[in-house]
Amino acid sequence: MPYHEFECSKCIPERKKHAVIKGPGEDLTSALPLGYLNTIPGSISERGCAYCGAKHVIGTPMKDVIHMSHGPVGCTYDTWQTKRYISDNDNFQLKYTYATDMKEKHVIFGAEKLLKQNIIEAFKAFPNIKRMTLYQTCASALIGDDINAIAQEVMDEMPEVDIFVCNSPGFGGPSQSGGHHKINIAWINQKVGNVEPKITSDYVINYVGEYNIQGDQEVMIDYFKRMGIQVLSTFTGNGSYDDLRAMHRAHLNVLECARSAEYICNELRVRYGTPRLDIDGFGFGPLSDSLRKVGLFFGIEDRAQAIIDEETARWKPELDWYKERLQGKKVCLWPGGSKLWHWAHVIHDEMGVEVVSVYTKFGHQGDMEKGISRCEEGALAIDDPNELEGIEAMETLKPDIIFTGKRPGEVAKKLRVPYLNAHAYHNGPWKGYEGWVRFARDIYNAIYSPIHQLAFVDISKDEIATDTKFVTQKILSDGNVSEEVKSSNELREYTGKYDNLTTIREKTYPEYPLQKKLSVV
Amino acid sequence: MKDKVEQLVDYIMKKCLWQFHSRSWDRERQNKEILTKTMQILCDEPVEKETPTDKCYWVDAVCLADAFKSRYAWLAAMDKVEIKLLMQKLKDRMDYLTVTGSLNEELNDPHY
Repeated sequence: MPYHEFECSKCIPERKKHAVIKGPGEDLTSALPLGYLNTIPGSISERGCAYCGAKHVIGTPMKDVIHMSHGPVGCTYDTWQTKRYISDNDNFQLKYTYATDMKEKHVIFGAEKLLKQNIIEAFKAFPNIKRMTLYQTCASALIGDDINAIAQEVMDEMPEVDIFVCNSPGFGGPSQSGGHHKINIAWINQKVGNVEPKITSDYVINYVGEYNIQGDQEVMIDYFKRMGIQVLSTFTGNGSYDDLRAMHRAHLNVLECARSAEYICNELRVRYGTPRLDIDGFGFGPLSDSLRKVGLFFGIEDRAQAIIDEETARWKPELDWYKERLQGKKVCLWPGGSKLWHWAHVIHDEMGVEVVSVYTKFGHQGDMEKGISRCEEGALAIDDPNELEGIEAMETLKPDIIFTGKRPGEVAKKLRVPYLNAHAYHNGPWKGYEGWVRFARDIYNAIYSPIHQLAFVDISKDEIATDTKFVTQKILSDGNVSEEVKSSNELREYTGKYDNLTTIREKTYPEYPLQKKLSVV
Repeated sequence: MKDKVEQLVDYIMKKCLWQFHSRSWDRERQNKEILTKTMQILCDEPVEKETPTDKCYWVDAVCLADAFKSRYAWLAAMDKVEIKLLMQKLKDRMDYLTVTGSLNEELNDPHY
């Protein structure tokens, strides 16, 4: 087994089995780190807790809901507005956050009364919102508050409201992934099947594991609508609470982030017979294959192909402009869970960069199987890295850029390595054809920023040159680009708008009247 | 034959996701259904796609067969008996890499 031992972690020998290097001839039966285990004592993890995974990642992107945490105010504050899952209802779910504000006296005397007061107060403060998700935290779980009973009491007294209870306290798993699991299962157990939807198309899907980061969901829904497909629900970005109660009526579950949402797809398959189709919404090739597969399932692949042709013709020359300038740049692909495998192969294929390392904070071994399979030989794969290991990897691998979260990202900046926020994006959406070009542009801007070049100068000891001229990104990026590429009439920089979502929201779509129920369903 | 199988394995591992469902029984079923249907498409045999479940396997099989045909010119020179043998060896290899030889300790968790 090609385990990699970090110098900084020699004092924690258990860490050795959490990192491997994919060497020549290695496959998954010989190169796979351990994963989804409790963090080893002594290793300062960058993970989130199970409450955060349930509430912050999956619950809160639901847009028409009061998301209430039953616990100390810090739990909800620290999971508020740190991820850009926007919505088309003026971002209600991002504007406000709610907590019962448990204190020491409640730990001693109980907080159920406090909880009920808070629920009623929140509904009264927002009379147009009739749905609530209620999250257990470590404090309220440890004292044994029966939040299900309180939720039921309120629903009995206020029959117009509906409350979902998520019992995923922070200690309920090794990482945020434990919370993903718990909320998936809780949602299907408590809520799916409670609402009968209006079916408006012969082709009906749930779009699962998509969180509308900077508008990703809206970009993908646009493609589905152009194909005449009804998206019954999105789990959960820009998703509606009541739509998600009707998930059982879809003909197909289209699954994007299998790490956070495969559980509900698997259960929908077992309980309702709805098949699960895993897709990739990132990158021209994978996205085209994905649209084609959805089209094939419904027998409307011609509609998918029309979109693929139109979008590729519009955006490919712009992607290729960046590809020519990003060739060979070294990337540490250090996101949370799914993006390490969504991106590992396609940033290499379509942007020309070299993935020298993949890591995941909370992914399981299944995510590493996908990520290691998709990256090239020599890549260092790390599970649940601590900060010192991240620093050692950056100093050893010398990446040109890293894609990661804001905590390790800020560390990278101090080492003079530019970073892009893989969780919340820089100038997203990054999904879709145009989105993929926006991602390439963000990479280009980060690597070739003239300001970033100044970071390499240490004013405490370096000689400061006074005769160097002003440089631009293009001067920096085009030094090694051929004249043929530089003078190409086909390739061009990104020409889209700063805001590419308003146009989508204002669009009208072709009518595909409901004709018949699918014979196969 | 071994080299050809490895080329096909490499394509699946890099470009596909269906082989990495989270439990061993799902992976066995995915490998069996999708690779059988891919073989049937490559051999011009009829493919079951009447139920939603079969149709979902068929969708992945169509895309896989197209990719194999466009990328691996040597496939066109093989007869149907050879293709069936190749696809059986491919399935055996995929079962080994993703199920029987897998180091993934979650594969046998009885719950989703």
